[in-house]
Amino acid sequence: MAGRQSHGRPVLAGASGKKGGKSQPNNSNKTQKSFPKSRSKSHSTALNAFALAAEELGPEKRQKGVRYRDLDEQPDKPSKKRAHDEDDEDDFDDEEDEEEEAPQRKKAKKDEFEGFSDAGAGSDDSEEWHVGVGSGDEDSELDSDEAFGESDEEKFAGYSFGGSSKKGKKNKKRGEESEGDEEDDSDLESLGSDAIDLATALDQYSSSEDEEGEGESGSEEEDDEESTDGDDESSEDDEEDEEKMSGLKKMISAFGGEDDEEDEQTQGTGKAKLSLADLGLAGIKDEHIKKSIKLMNKEEKGDKKTRLDVPLAKPLQDRNLRSAAYAKTNETLDRWIDTVKSNRRADHLIFPLAQNAQDKGLDAGELMPVNQKTSGTELENAILSIMEESGLGPSASKEKKNEGGLTDEAERLSKAEQKEIARQRRRERELHSREMVRQKRIKKIKSKAYRRIHRKELLKDEQAAHDERVEAGEIDSEEERELQDRRRAEERMGTRHRESKWAKLGKKAGRAVWDEDFRAGLTDMARRKEELRRRVEGRRGSDDEGSDVSMGSDDEGGKKKLLSELERAAAYDGDDEPKSGLMAMRFMQRGEEIRRKENDELVAQIRRELDSDAEVSEEEMDIGRRQYGMGKPTVKLPADAAKAKKKASKSSEQVIFKDDVEMTEEPSRKQAVVESEPVGSNPNAPGGWSRVSQEGRESKKAASKAPNQELDLSNAAMPATKFSKPKSKTQTAEADDGNETDDSDAIHLPMAIRDQKLINRAFAGEDVHLEFRKEKAEIAEEDDDKEIDNTLPGWGSWVGDGVSAREQRRHKGRFVTKVEGVKKTSRKDYKLKDAIVSERRVKKNDTYLATSLPHPFESQQQYERSLRLPVGPEWQTKETFQGATKPRVIIKQGLIAPMSKPMV
Amino acid sequence: MEVDTVDTPLARVSQPNNGQLVLKKPRTDFKSKSELVKARRQREAHKAYGRGRGIDTRGVRDKKLRRNLTSLENKYKEATYKAKEAEILLENTAGFLEPETELERTYKVRQDDIQQNVAIEVAQKGFELKLKDLGPYVCEYSRNGRDLILAGRKGHVATMDWREGKLGCELQLGETIRDARFLHNNQFFAVAQKKYVYIYDAQGVELHCLKKHVEVSHMQFLPYHFLLATLGINGSLKYQDTSTGQIVSEISTKQGTPVSLAQNPYNAILHVGQQNGTVTLWSPNSSEPLVKLLAHRGPVRALDVDREGRYMVSAGQDNKMCIWDIRNFKEAVSSYFTRSPASSIAISDTGLTAVGWNTHTTVWRGLFDKNKPVQEKVQSPYMTWGGEGHKVERVRWCPYEDVLGISHAEGFSSMIVPGAGEPNYDALEVNPFETKKQRQEGEVKALLNKLKPEMIALDPNFIGALDLRSEKQRQADRDLDAAPVDVVEELKKKARGKNTALKKYLRKQKKKNIVDEKRVRVEEMIKEMQEKKDEKFKDRQEALGPSLARFARKD
Repeated sequence: MAGRQSHGRPVLAGASGKKGGKSQPNNSNKTQKSFPKSRSKSHSTALNAFALAAEELGPEKRQKGVRYRDLDEQPDKPSKKRAHDEDDEDDFDDEEDEEEEAPQRKKAKKDEFEGFSDAGAGSDDSEEWHVGVGSGDEDSELDSDEAFGESDEEKFAGYSFGGSSKKGKKNKKRGEESEGDEEDDSDLESLGSDAIDLATALDQYSSSEDEEGEGESGSEEEDDEESTDGDDESSEDDEEDEEKMSGLKKMISAFGGEDDEEDEQTQGTGKAKLSLADLGLAGIKDEHIKKSIKLMNKEEKGDKKTRLDVPLAKPLQDRNLRSAAYAKTNETLDRWIDTVKSNRRADHLIFPLAQNAQDKGLDAGELMPVNQKTSGTELENAILSIMEESGLGPSASKEKKNEGGLTDEAERLSKAEQKEIARQRRRERELHSREMVRQKRIKKIKSKAYRRIHRKELLKDEQAAHDERVEAGEIDSEEERELQDRRRAEERMGTRHRESKWAKLGKKAGRAVWDEDFRAGLTDMARRKEELRRRVEGRRGSDDEGSDVSMGSDDEGGKKKLLSELERAAAYDGDDEPKSGLMAMRFMQRGEEIRRKENDELVAQIRRELDSDAEVSEEEMDIGRRQYGMGKPTVKLPADAAKAKKKASKSSEQVIFKDDVEMTEEPSRKQAVVESEPVGSNPNAPGGWSRVSQEGRESKKAASKAPNQELDLSNAAMPATKFSKPKSKTQTAEADDGNETDDSDAIHLPMAIRDQKLINRAFAGEDVHLEFRKEKAEIAEEDDDKEIDNTLPGWGSWVGDGVSAREQRRHKGRFVTKVEGVKKTSRKDYKLKDAIVSERRVKKNDTYLATSLPHPFESQQQYERSLRLPVGPEWQTKETFQGATKPRVIIKQGLIAPMSKPMV
Repeated sequence: MEVDTVDTPLARVSQPNNGQLVLKKPRTDFKSKSELVKARRQREAHKAYGRGRGIDTRGVRDKKLRRNLTSLENKYKEATYKAKEAEILLENTAGFLEPETELERTYKVRQDDIQQNVAIEVAQKGFELKLKDLGPYVCEYSRNGRDLILAGRKGHVATMDWREGKLGCELQLGETIRDARFLHNNQFFAVAQKKYVYIYDAQGVELHCLKKHVEVSHMQFLPYHFLLATLGINGSLKYQDTSTGQIVSEISTKQGTPVSLAQNPYNAILHVGQQNGTVTLWSPNSSEPLVKLLAHRGPVRALDVDREGRYMVSAGQDNKMCIWDIRNFKEAVSSYFTRSPASSIAISDTGLTAVGWNTHTTVWRGLFDKNKPVQEKVQSPYMTWGGEGHKVERVRWCPYEDVLGISHAEGFSSMIVPGAGEPNYDALEVNPFETKKQRQEGEVKALLNKLKPEMIALDPNFIGALDLRSEKQRQADRDLDAAPVDVVEELKKKARGKNTALKKYLRKQKKKNIVDEKRVRVEEMIKEMQEKKDEKFKDRQEALGPSLARFARKD
C-alpha cells in the first residue's frame, strides 16, 4: 500500500503545485520553476534567499548544471525507452492472442498497461510529453494541458531531487503533526536544515552537483526499471491489477474533491526533495561517511523502487485506449477487405458458404487405385491379398506385361519379317509423299523461272558491257555471228529439220512409233540442234551448264533446261509402283489426286509462262524482219509487243490442250528462234513470270518512250494496255468457258446471251436509268439544306411600279431561314449507283430509342455494346443462358452460418 | 447496319518490285500450339457467332464501369465460344450432289436417278400431283414444312400434310384465287380471292373476310409480328395484325401495279418488285419506301431474299437475274440471264436458289457466298427440272427438307434437291415434328413474344440504341403549337354509359391516395356536377309542390 500511496501522491502534489504556480509562465527550465514553487507559502523567505543566491551565482552556473545533467542522462534514455517499448509490444501481442477469449479482462489490463507505459514515457522526458499531446486530439486540448502541467511539474520535482514518497509523507506529518512515525527524524532534519541547506548548497555547489547528477541518473534508471517491472507484473498477475485499478480510482476521486489535503501535501513535496542533499553531507570527505551516505542514497533509491509512475488521467487513458482499440479493430477489419471485394465482384454467391459446408474437409476427387503402398486399412489389405491370390492384383498386370514383352522378343527373332514391315512402311510413306516431292520439284523450277526473270537486269548490264567491248573492237561480233548464222541455215536446209517436210510427214504418220530409222533421225536432229545451240551460246554460257543459279545468264538455255526439268517433274508419276494398303484407301487416293491436280496445274502454268515469252519472240521473228545484234528500240515496238502477246496468249491456250509430244517440241522450236537472236537484246521480251506486271511495266515503258519518238506511239500503246487486262484476268476461264459452251447442251442455255440484242431493243424505249437518276437527284435536292426567304414584299420597302430593280434586289433576301437537311455528300446513297435510300427519320421507331446516354456509360459505343448480346435462350447455349439468368445470390435452405474466416 | 468484313490473313504479304516478300505483320510472339488452336477457334467462333466488334475497355475512365464492361466482353467472348463449341451437337450435315469427274455435271442428274438411288422414305418425297383443270396453281409450305397449301387460279384450294399424303381440307371457292398462304401455323390460312382476302381454318371453315384488303395479288406473313401483309393490284400495301385483327398501316406504293413481293426474313422488311424495274423496300412505319433499287430494265418478275438478309436475287422481264448485296444496296453479280423471264424465285436455307422460268426450273448453287469477298459468277446450275410443258407458276422450298415444291399449270411437283434444307432444326424456333400440344404451346409463346410493328426497321438491332438527334432537332420535331391536353375533356370523351369515365377515374384514384393536379380538377368537376344535379332536384321538387315533392326524380 505504501507503494500505491507514493504512486498517488505526487500526482496530487503536482496538481496542487500547479495550482500554486498557475500564474507563472511555463519556462523551459522546469527545475527552476518547481524549486521555488514547492515552497511557495511557508518558506517565502527561504525562497527569497535562494533567489538571491541564484542571482549572485548567475544563471549560467545553474543552467550549466542542468546541461550537464542532461548530458549524463541523454545517452541512456533512448535505449531504455526502446526496450521499454519493445516490452510493450510483446505484451501487446500476448494480449492480442487472448483478446478474443476474454475481451473484458483484456480491457482492464490494457487500461493499466496503457497508463503505465505512457507514464513511463512521460517521466523520461518532458519533450516526449509535448509531442504526445501536441499531436493529440485538439478537442480535448484543455484537459490535456492541465494534465500536463501537473505531471510536468510533478516529474521534475521527482527528477531533480528524487525520493518524493518519503517527502510526501513528511509533509503530511508536518501539516497534521498527529502521526508519529519512524520517518519523523528525517522530516525534522529536512525541515530544519532548510536555511543551512541552501548555504551549503551554495558553498559546495559543484561537488554536490556531481553527486546529485550521479544519483539522479541512477535513480532515473531505477525508475524506468521499476516501471517496466511494474508492467511485467501487471501483465502477470491480476490481483495487483485490481489494486492498481483501485488506486486509479482513488486518484480520480482525489481529482474530484479533496483539494485541501493536496495543498498541504504540495508544500511537503516541494521541501522534501531538498532534504537529503541539503543535510550537508555532500561536503564530507571522510570515506566512511561517504560510504554510509551512499548506502543511504541507495536506501533511498530502494524506497523509490516502490514508487510507481503516475498514471494518466482517466480521460486520457480512455482516449489512448480508444485509439488503440480503434487501430486494432481496423486491423482485424482490414483482413476482410479482400474477401468483401471479391464477393462484391462475384457473379454469383451461394449460401451456405463452401467453407461452412458439412463435407468441407473431404476430398471429392477421384479415388485412386489401391496398392500395397497405399493400402492403409486392414480391410484394404485383406482385399488386396485376395485379389493378388486370384491373379487380379496390381502385380498380376505387370506379369502380363512381361509376357507381352516376351512375345515381342519372339517377334523380334524373325528379323526378315521385321525388315519387311519396315520397308512396307517406308514405301507407304514414300507413296504418300510422292506428290509432295513432285510439288517440291515444281516449286523449285518455278523459283528458278522466277529467278531467271529477275536476272534480266543483270543481263542487261552484261549486254551493255558487251556492247562496249564490241564498240572498242575487242570482239568481232559481226563476223562470228554471220558464221553461226550460216551454220544454222545449213542445219535448217538439211532434210532433218524440225519444220521440214520429212519431219512433218513423219509426225503426221506417227512414224516415230514404228520406224526405227525415223526415230534415229529425230534423235540426230535433236542432237544437232543441241550442238548448234551450244555453239551459239558457247562463248558466253559454256561455264554455266550445271548451275541452276547462273541459268539466268543464258535465258533460253535455262528455259529449256527448266522445261526439260518440268517435263521430268510432270512425268514423275508413281503409277508403276504397287499400291500399298494405305494408298489403297480412298481418302488417300483422293488426297493424292487433289495434290496431283494441283501440281499439274502448276506445271501447266509454268509452261505457259515459259512458252509465252518464247512464243512472243517467235512471233516477232515471223512478223518483222529478223534482228541481229542488239535489238534497237523501234517505234512500233509496243504495238508489236501487244500483238505478239495476243498471239502468245492464244497459243498458250492451245498449249494447255496439246498433248505431250507437242509440249516437248515447243522448247526446241523456241530455241531455234532464239538462236538467231542474242538474248537480252530484245527489250520487250516479256519475262513470263507474272505477265500482268510485266506487261504493265512494258506499256509504261512504251509510254515513257513515246513522246521523243513518234506521236503515234501513244495510240499504239493503248491496245497493249487494253489487252493486258482481260488476258490477265482469266485466260483459262475463257478457255473453260469455251469448252463448256461447246459441250453443254441447251439445258443451261438460259445463261447464254442469245437474244440480248433483241431484249435490248425491246427495252430501248424507256431509259429507266436516266429516270432513276433524275428521281434520285430530285430527292437529294429535296432533302438538302434549304433556305427559305420569308421576306414579305412591301415590308420595310416600297413595292409596285417604279421601284428600281436594284432596290427590289436589295430587299430580297432580308429574312431568310435556313432549314438544315441532309447534304448531298452525306447521303447514304451518295456513292451508290442504283439505289435511293430514304433519309427521312422513321418517327415510329423513335419510341424504341434511348433518349439519353444511361448513367454509368461514357460513350454511345459502350452503351450499345452492352445491349448487343441477346439474352433469350434461342440465341445462345443453355449454359450461357443459365449463367446469365442465374440469380446473383443463391440461398439454399437451412442454416446459414456467417463466414468464419476470410476466404481470400 | 452491321457489315461483315472478310477475315484477313494473319500475316499480310505484299510484293514489292524486286520480288521479295515483305511481311507487314510478322508473328513475333511465340505461342504454344494449344494456344494457337484456341485462338483460331475463338476467331472462328467470333466470325460465326460474334456480334460486332468489341469495345476497348482500357480507355474507360470509371473503374467500376471498366470492370463491368470488361467482364461483359469476356462474357460475350465466352458465349460465342460456347456457341461454336455447341456446334458439335448439330448432328446432321447438308450434302450436295458432287460430280465425280470434271466432265460430269450435276444438272444432268434427273429426278428418276435420284429417286432410284435414295432411301424409299426420301424417294417418296418426290411426287407429282396432277391437277389439270383448275388452272395454274400456287403453292406454299407452312413454317415448319409439314403442311402444304395449293391454290388453283380457278378456285381450288387444298391443304395437306404432304409427307403423309393426308388431305387437310379441300375447297372449291368458285372465284379467282391469286394467292394463298398459311399464317403462323397450319391452323389458319389466308386466301386472296377475287375481291377480298379470306381467312380459313384448318378444316376449311371461313373465319374472316378482310374487306379492307381489296383485289390482293400478293401476300406475305411476318411470323414474329403476326402481320399479314397484302399487296393489291392497285399498289396498296396493307398490314393487318392477325392476332388483334387491327389494320396496322395502309400504304400506297404509288408506282402502278406491283409485280412481285418478298419479305426479308432478317428484318421483316417487304421487298416489292415494281413495273419500272425498281425494287422498293417497305416497312409499316413509313409512308414512303425506305430504299429504292433499280434492278432491272423491265418489270421485276420475281425476287427473294436469303434467310440471313444479306442477299436478294431478283429476276426481271429483261431476262436478267441480279444478285444484290441487300445490306449495302449494291449489285453483287449481275451477269445472269434467264432464257425467258422468270416467274418465281426461291432461296433455300442453305442458299440454293430455285428459279422458275417458263416450263423449267433451275436450281443454282453458290450464287452468293457470305464468306467470299467478291461474288463470282457460277458457270453452270446445280440442278434442273422441267421441260415437259408444265408452265411453272411458283417455286417454294420446303423448310427443313431437301425438297423443292414446284406448282405449275398442271398441278404440283415435288423435286428432291440434295442439300437444300437446313439439316438441323431448332425446336425452340420451329419444330417440324411438333405434336398438337407443342403446337399450341408454341402459339402461345409466339404470341407472348410478338413484336410490335413499330420495331420493324432496316436495322433490326436499332432497339435501345441512342437517339443521336440534337436537342435542337428534337425541339423542332416536337409540335409546339399543339394545345395542351385537358384532362377532364379527355376523360369526358371516353364516357360511356351511366358510369362516367370521370367517376370511374375518381373511384380508382381514391384508393391510391395520390392527390395531384389531375385529381383535384376531376374532383372539382364532379362536385360541380353534383351541385347542378342537386339544383335540378330542388327545382323539380319545387315544381311538384310541397306535398308531392317526395316523388321528385333524383337525377
